[in-house]
Amino acid sequence: MSEIALETRPDPLAGTDKSEQGDVRTEEMLVNMGPQHPATHGVLRIVLRTDGELVLEAVPHIGYLHRCAEKIGENLAPYQYIPYTDRMDYLAGMNNNQAFAIAIERLAGVEVPLRAQYIRVMFAELNRIASHLVAFGTYGLDMGAFTPFLYAFREREMILDLFESACGARLTYSYITIGGVTDDLPDRFLEVLDEFMDYFEPKIDEYNQLLSFNQIFVKRTADVGVISAEDAVRWALTGPVLRASGVNWDLRKSTPYEIYDRFDFDIPIGLPGGSEGVPRAVVVGDSWNRHIVKVWEMRQSCRIIRQAMEQMPEGPHIAAKTKNLKLPDDEIYIEIENPRGQLGFYVRGDGTQIPSRVKVRGPSFCNISVLNHIGSGCLLADIPAIVGSIDIVMGECDR
Amino acid sequence: MTQLSVPWRPRAKQQHGPMAALVAGFAKALYATFAPLVRAFPGPLLIGAIVTVIVGVWANYLVFEFVDTALVAADTNVVAETGLFGGLLAITEVRAGLIAAGVPGAGTLCYLLYPLQYGLVRDVIGAGGLLGFISVIPLYVIWWERKVAGRIQSRTGPMRVGGWHGWSQSMADGIKLICKEDLCPADADRPLFKLAPYLAFVPAILAFFALPFGTYWVFREVDVALVFILAMLGIEVLGVILAGWASNNKWSVYGAMREACQMVSYEIPMGMALLIPIMAVGTLSLTELGDTQSGGWTSWIVFRNPFTFVAAIAYYIASLANCKRAPFDLPESESELVAGFHTEYSGFRWSLFFFGEYAAMFVVSGLCVILFFGAWYSPLPMSLAESWGLGDSLIARAIKGLLFAGPLWFVGKCVFLLYVQIWIRWTLPRIRIDQVLYACIQVLLPLMMVVLMGHTLYELFVPTHGLVWSIFNIILSLIGAVAVLGMIFIATYGFWNRVGLVGSLGVETLPGS
Amino acid sequence: MIEQRQTKNSFLIVGLVLAACASSASAQYPTPENRPARAAESELNAEESVVTSTVAPNSAVEAALFYLFGGTLLVSALGVCVTKSVVRMATWLFGALGAAAVLYFLMGAAFLGAIQLIVYAGGTLILIVFGVMLTSKSPWVRFDCPRIEMWAAGGVVGVLFVALTTLLIGTQWPTLSAAAHPATIAEFGKELLTTYLVPFEVGSVLLLVVMIGAAHLARQEN
Repeated sequence: MSEIALETRPDPLAGTDKSEQGDVRTEEMLVNMGPQHPATHGVLRIVLRTDGELVLEAVPHIGYLHRCAEKIGENLAPYQYIPYTDRMDYLAGMNNNQAFAIAIERLAGVEVPLRAQYIRVMFAELNRIASHLVAFGTYGLDMGAFTPFLYAFREREMILDLFESACGARLTYSYITIGGVTDDLPDRFLEVLDEFMDYFEPKIDEYNQLLSFNQIFVKRTADVGVISAEDAVRWALTGPVLRASGVNWDLRKSTPYEIYDRFDFDIPIGLPGGSEGVPRAVVVGDSWNRHIVKVWEMRQSCRIIRQAMEQMPEGPHIAAKTKNLKLPDDEIYIEIENPRGQLGFYVRGDGTQIPSRVKVRGPSFCNISVLNHIGSGCLLADIPAIVGSIDIVMGECDR
Repeated sequence: MTQLSVPWRPRAKQQHGPMAALVAGFAKALYATFAPLVRAFPGPLLIGAIVTVIVGVWANYLVFEFVDTALVAADTNVVAETGLFGGLLAITEVRAGLIAAGVPGAGTLCYLLYPLQYGLVRDVIGAGGLLGFISVIPLYVIWWERKVAGRIQSRTGPMRVGGWHGWSQSMADGIKLICKEDLCPADADRPLFKLAPYLAFVPAILAFFALPFGTYWVFREVDVALVFILAMLGIEVLGVILAGWASNNKWSVYGAMREACQMVSYEIPMGMALLIPIMAVGTLSLTELGDTQSGGWTSWIVFRNPFTFVAAIAYYIASLANCKRAPFDLPESESELVAGFHTEYSGFRWSLFFFGEYAAMFVVSGLCVILFFGAWYSPLPMSLAESWGLGDSLIARAIKGLLFAGPLWFVGKCVFLLYVQIWIRWTLPRIRIDQVLYACIQVLLPLMMVVLMGHTLYELFVPTHGLVWSIFNIILSLIGAVAVLGMIFIATYGFWNRVGLVGSLGVETLPGS
Repeated sequence: MIEQRQTKNSFLIVGLVLAACASSASAQYPTPENRPARAAESELNAEESVVTSTVAPNSAVEAALFYLFGGTLLVSALGVCVTKSVVRMATWLFGALGAAAVLYFLMGAAFLGAIQLIVYAGGTLILIVFGVMLTSKSPWVRFDCPRIEMWAAGGVVGVLFVALTTLLIGTQWPTLSAAAHPATIAEFGKELLTTYLVPFEVGSVLLLVVMIGAAHLARQEN
């Protein structure tokens, strides 16, 4: 299959001048990067057509983690399907729960209590931080820096402790559910969260010192895998990848869901080199910008969490009737801002409890499609830099 | 049901050769004997071990120096007369020599030291000691690397095996590696695949045979020791490249090719950096190079003039590339090439690569110490020892050895440089192959050319110990002192002011309780 | 099919290390017969030095080592001829050159031996890289040549062998007196920069020309 796919694609160097190719046209080699490879973040397989260290073409092949997640959704009641959404983007379970919950609530007309909405936003943002921490750490690992990974996981463990205290799970939470959240916050939760935020916010500077502004790291990532704003929009990229290309688009601001319009926060976008302390070699839309946008987003998430903690109202944590909901004969498509981009759920009801169609728009799936576009003509070592900066989760990509 | 035959499934029963069983059994017995002891008395044993090492080193040193004195005093041209393995010296001659040297109790000593008269006996003892040292160094450098990495990453590193801070973790790993299956891919070039680890390991060991640990502490005094060691480091690369090629794995070939181009380019600035101390002293013999730096801190070649200072830094960078340590660990960069050249290796053969790598790390650090950082001399000048009037007694020699010069200082400095290598590895990301070559060809190479030329002119036209010379010497020595003291201060400060993790995040009451 | 066999490598390591000990042991006791400077003269024709050293091996052990490594050299050289895989060929070549270096060490020409190792290790490395590049199409490309070429090459080599052997046997090689001390590297350097300055410089210029030529060839046409 891969050979056929490769044959039908044009040679990226075909149009270039002969002198740029060098005198000797050397032998090309097909290399399988993955599905078992340390830099592919799961079971992604990239077929590389290489000329020495130069990558002529990088074709992503997906589907190794396909578990029929959408089909399962068409056989279960929505509240039963919530645990399956966890398993899609397993690094951002809260956000996935939230997206599906909102879709069902809008479809079935469930009113979510205000406290539940605050808790949801707080947990979604905490999970965004946790997810970006993994992205940050593994990106360092891709670049050969081991220590940032451990630092990021140290802090992520604390977030997971908080999650565990609230819902008992550390990875697949199923905490945000139809109509609210499964349990109210435990005692002292906000106190401990406050302690964590005080600890965590200075750590972001530490990460930047250690990795983001390290000269070697900047050299490795600046001007690598550049996606222009037009390309980003054309390839339907979303999330930090889109914003790193300089497009100011975030669903939390543009079409606020839940109660995001009540908070004051900024949308970090990719900056050109030389501005606001950004290294000179950086261009808008390169891997460095994709990395730093995530780090800056962590800071904005902290702001949102602090505001949510201040405004946290009292009240019930879940709507009165959430189970045995009859879904109307109607359809809905909603998108929310997942750590990786816009996660969309399309749900069609047919008057029974079980939706007749569930379709997911996964940000990783759409974002990875750009790999061949930006991965052609770079060096072999840039492929991990690009894949890592796009920050995919194969569970959600393959579903 | 038909039984499917899975071609790649390993056979259920592992076969162990007698040698492996012997080695593993020995190691297990050793572990079983010593682990409880170490668990029971960690502190006293540690102090005891250090004292034993120091006493042993000095006892050994004195014996060898004594034999040397005796042989010289016997007024016999050993080199010319004894041939390859040192023929037997007439015992009477030795006795006469000892008495002439004024050694008390010469007669008895003579008989005690009888076997040492044979060159072969001395060689076997020396080689045994050296091999022991070489096998222990990687084990403990690996353990230490893991501890340092743990501290850097706010972990603890190995803590369990052996009881005290996981002191025998590397030994346990070694036993595991010996007992592991020895795999060879079906499509590999089998003879080369099996040869490659030895080609990577043996030269690294051989390099130690010409590396002096002290004035009398060298297995073979070769007057071209430096060239010999460089040649051995070059052969080690050959093993790596053969391993990459013979594995018949595309990632391995990538690793091998990276190693080849990295090595071929970095050998040049490295060699040029090494030329600078050679030019300053005028010999290729490492012992002589080291002995010129006996005048304390300021006489170290690194502080001799600005050019040697730059050359020392350049050498250190090039040596990192040479023994493929981060940020130059491209041949085995696991995020790009799975494991690079050793992707297909397992068990004992795999561990040979690592023994080779850590031995090479020690060798390049040793070269750096000998050529730039005062070899086996302490920062105190030897003239201070003379002025104390200690005399020549055994105690005086031991004091001199501990305070002023000796293999312990050499090993200590090497370990410090190893520590810097580890520190760099666990801090910096890896650089890309084009940047590796750019840094070498566009930066290091021109820099070293300028430095080489500048150093030549400096040595020719600036009078040694003149005003200009002294000013530069003092300024550079101060910079070095401040740098080292600053490092120590920062490390101590950081250690005492460690920031703990936030207090318990556990929540008192869980929901629903 | 995966081979599953227990490692029996320890013997080999011990053997190699012992061989290495022995070879470096010999480096310490240079034999007076062969001064490095003289060996350097005949650098291009390693066989000559080999032959002279057989005149008077000064001990049985040394003779044994000489024959061991001489034999290694011959076997490796034969290996280069009969192997058909490029990389294996390069490995055999490395074996031959390494054995030659050990012979230099045996003769007390430590500098020459070390230089031999450092230069030819690098040279073999490049050879392997070229081998890999040339054989990238299939992993184990084999070099087969027409039978007639083999016979022709064999003939030329045979004639060369007979001629050289006759020459070596016929020549009265001067032996140095035992009183002559082994040359130090300093003396070697002085000789190189005084007596043999012109050949040395000519060699340097030649290398420079090669370097410039290579750079020119590698340069991309604008």
